[in-house]
Amino acid sequence: MATRLEDPRVVEFDVRTDEMLVNMGPQHPSTHGVLRLVLRTDGEVVSEVQPHIGYLHRCAEKIGENLTPRQWIPYTDRMDYLAGMNMNLGWSLTVEKLLRYELPEKARHLRVIICELGRIASHLVGMGAYGLDLGTFSPFLYAFREREKILDLFEEACGARLTYSYICPGGATADLPKGWLQKCEKFLDEFAPVIDEYHALLTTNAIFIKRTAGIGILPAEMAIDYGCSGPVLRGSGVDFDLRRDGEPRYTSMYDGYAFEVVVQKDGHYPRDHKYPPVPKEAVLGDCWHRFYVRMLEVVQSMDLVRQGIEFYSRSKGDWGTPIKLNQKLPKGEAYLETEAPRGQMGFYIVSDGSSIPWRVRARSSSFCNLSVVSELCRGCLIADVPAIVGSLDIVMGEIDR
Amino acid sequence: MLPGVQVGQPVAHRLAYLWRAPAWGRPLLVERSSWDRCRRGLSIEGNDVVEFFEATLNWPSWLAWTAVALIQCFLLINLVAGGALFFIWLERKVAGRIQDRLGPTRVGGKFGWLQTLADGIKLLAKEDIVPKEADPFLFRMAPYVSFTASFCGWLALPFADNWVGQRLNVAVFFIVAIVGLEVFGVILAGYASGSKWSLFGAMREAAQVVSYEVPLGLCIVVPVMIAGSMDLVTIGNKQAGYFTNWFIFHDPAAFVVFWVYFTCAVASVNRAPFDLAEAESELVAGFHTEYSGLRWSFFFMAEYGSMLLVSALAAILFFGGWHGPFPIISQGLVPALAAMTGASVDSPVLVYLANLAGCANLIFKAVIGVTVMMWVRWTLPRLRIDQVLTTCLKYCVPLAALCFLAEVWFQLYPHTNPMPLNRLQWGAPRASIEVREGWLPLSPVSPDDVQEAQLTHSQEHRG
Amino acid sequence: MIGAVIDWSAFLFYLFAAVACGFALAVVLSNHIVHMAFYLTLALGATAGLFLLTGSQFVGAMQFMIYVGGTLVLLVFGVMLTAQHRFVSIRTRAGEWITAAVLGGALLMLLGYVAWAVPDWHAAPPAHVPPEQVESTSRLGLALTGVRMDGGSGYALPFVIVSVHLLVVLIGAGYLARARVRVSDAAARKEMP
Repeated sequence: MATRLEDPRVVEFDVRTDEMLVNMGPQHPSTHGVLRLVLRTDGEVVSEVQPHIGYLHRCAEKIGENLTPRQWIPYTDRMDYLAGMNMNLGWSLTVEKLLRYELPEKARHLRVIICELGRIASHLVGMGAYGLDLGTFSPFLYAFREREKILDLFEEACGARLTYSYICPGGATADLPKGWLQKCEKFLDEFAPVIDEYHALLTTNAIFIKRTAGIGILPAEMAIDYGCSGPVLRGSGVDFDLRRDGEPRYTSMYDGYAFEVVVQKDGHYPRDHKYPPVPKEAVLGDCWHRFYVRMLEVVQSMDLVRQGIEFYSRSKGDWGTPIKLNQKLPKGEAYLETEAPRGQMGFYIVSDGSSIPWRVRARSSSFCNLSVVSELCRGCLIADVPAIVGSLDIVMGEIDR
Repeated sequence: MLPGVQVGQPVAHRLAYLWRAPAWGRPLLVERSSWDRCRRGLSIEGNDVVEFFEATLNWPSWLAWTAVALIQCFLLINLVAGGALFFIWLERKVAGRIQDRLGPTRVGGKFGWLQTLADGIKLLAKEDIVPKEADPFLFRMAPYVSFTASFCGWLALPFADNWVGQRLNVAVFFIVAIVGLEVFGVILAGYASGSKWSLFGAMREAAQVVSYEVPLGLCIVVPVMIAGSMDLVTIGNKQAGYFTNWFIFHDPAAFVVFWVYFTCAVASVNRAPFDLAEAESELVAGFHTEYSGLRWSFFFMAEYGSMLLVSALAAILFFGGWHGPFPIISQGLVPALAAMTGASVDSPVLVYLANLAGCANLIFKAVIGVTVMMWVRWTLPRLRIDQVLTTCLKYCVPLAALCFLAEVWFQLYPHTNPMPLNRLQWGAPRASIEVREGWLPLSPVSPDDVQEAQLTHSQEHRG
Repeated sequence: MIGAVIDWSAFLFYLFAAVACGFALAVVLSNHIVHMAFYLTLALGATAGLFLLTGSQFVGAMQFMIYVGGTLVLLVFGVMLTAQHRFVSIRTRAGEWITAAVLGGALLMLLGYVAWAVPDWHAAPPAHVPPEQVESTSRLGLALTGVRMDGGSGYALPFVIVSVHLLVVLIGAGYLARARVRVSDAAARKEMP
């Protein structure tokens, strides 16, 4: 086991070794972008981790106060650039809330399909990059191989592969093209067996379990205290998912969909009979559980996409009418949180009645998830730092905005 | 009196010495087959090339020896460097295939087989950077130290029957000692780089290699015990014949110890999942973070050289070395050719042919070993430093020690050996093989005998 | 032609001896601790080469494994314990030079005396010594376990003594390097009435 020092101050060595202050980042292979972690280490043992952020700050929120809501959509893509669709959705719903816009049925199902696919793509990157953090390269490419197929689908729908700007206040920029649903179903059929491959390569791999189980344990109370959300929160056993527990304006999107929040209850995950068992070493809230929750959410999202395809093909009407570029906003404010792949993504908009919002703010899930890192890394080894940071699955674009 | 040099001793001298050295018991040199007597080849001992230079070209002795030494060094260094070229290409191809990609496809035609050369040219053209904080002298020396250590191990490694740079009677031991020195360059590099990440890499490497030397040493003792010699040529020749004679199938202890050996070998050459010294996701690039260009590539040549070395060592110790799974060449082709041409089986050409096939055989086995290492690298995540040391101290060392004890048991009570393959003795061509070390006197030696023997011995020396 | 007179054994012997002595001097004269360790490795490696030249391959390989490998650990400790810059370079004061010279000179004289006392070395070297394979491993092993071919007493007892000594050193090192959990000041204050 790791040399876990609960409180480094009460351990003393007769042979004095010097403490070292090491910069992990902003240019470092496993800090997922330009995160800078200042580690205070005694040999290999990390006694303190201080995250420094802001290297990717692009004033996105301030720009939002100078553009109309429709114009600002491309900027939301660049927040969590691995889940652009979900960012579009969060902003669109917030603006719709301010406008009190009621979405047509077909647009609702379209959004579910697209966003759940986005969640799969995002979790695939999270999973692959986590493998990379632990020193195995192949799962990363296996994950990207499948993600490419999703990106192909997105490209067909909206023309872009990373920064989509597809979902917009009022619906989406276009309907799904003809034959898209069949392609999507084909992808889901191909993808289902691949998940077992991932489980074999990572989830059940002995070294992977050794590296993740019991490492970076995040107790439920601490997760709540720090405002963690998404798989990080659910990995600690807190049964909370905005798709079920959120605002009616958001949860109504999932009306009629059957899904179960992926969280361990009474020592069992939903549907866990079909997937690898929880290893003995794993403790609720550790890196392994956070990873596993993501893996199960991929399956859950696949299920939701299938249901969405069903609903979408049955529903009548159109895909909504996007708001005008210079749509006048009613005076007031709106705040809405959605369940993005990385957790609770909130947008806040204040309008003074013109077409340009007076204030725009975003509540980033990765920011809160990252803030626990100094708690989790206290007393771990250097090699655990990438393992822990990777299991939080942060995206710096969203933290720095 | 200056000490005599090893090189240049004809076989006959050694034979005579063995016969006349009763000081430590009876040398059990019972029978030497004609094959054995006529071993020839590249070895300095074999003398053939030197004889050719001296007799045919009329070169002075010193020039002949120097030329032979240079030729051998040239061949070996090309094996290491050319091996690195090939293995880097192979690694990229293997990794590509494992990861559902193609790997290099363009440079040099169909399979991108010149890719490494292109990379090499790129590395040559790169700026050679020495960081400001670095210790310039050690920073420059470190890659050469690593590469030299990796290269020196090859001096004692036989490629076929007596095709060896320098035949040592403790070759196994020598190679293990030398391979351990590669870490020295790594530590120097880590320290001299003046970078904290490099220092972490160096410290990890030191801890890891110092730990893994112990089980590695225990592992190689098992085949040494089976063969009764530390001479790799002898060990290889003892496994002649069919694959049933390979030491890995000799008894259960040897079978188990091979896997321990392979694990420890992977760890001692710093390959995934034990590549903690360069752990790119944690330490940026570990000890070679600050290196660029040619110096950097020296570390890689050393790494690939060591990989091939430990794999070749595994092939010799456990998989029959140059003796194939089926003795097609030495017992099929060579006698057939001899019968056809009317030449003796011992004629230099046929012996050379057999040795060439054996050399290819050994290198093939070694390449398989290296490929397995690549396969492992591209499949498994990396262990953590404490887990690496736990694997060594809690699993490898006790397992190797147990196998050692079991092997002692099987040596003392061979009839209890449950591995039936070994009893078949298929196709072993020699009734007995010269074993030059490790024979105990069969009867107790009386002090008078010893004194007498010493007297004769020293008289012979002075006279 | 010089080639005719080159005696390879002599040439290699002088080469390795010169390397060993040169780097030994460099160890003494250098004042950078890691450089010293590096030179020491080279000196010991050249000594291993000398052993190999005499045909004692086992001792040569042993020299590589133990001394050169041992220096490695020395180097690691050198780096670990002197990470602060002021310890890395070591200044030698005049007094220390004198002490060292006296000690080293005494040792050198002793070694020289012993070397010249070997009777064989007084005689003129024989014209040509046929090089021979010295097969020392088994004899060394047997001598260590107490069986000496010349009827001597063997080295079992010194071996055991050295082993025990090393064990003590190992335990001592483990004791020094261990982590000790100490009641922190805050906890101690809490316990006070």
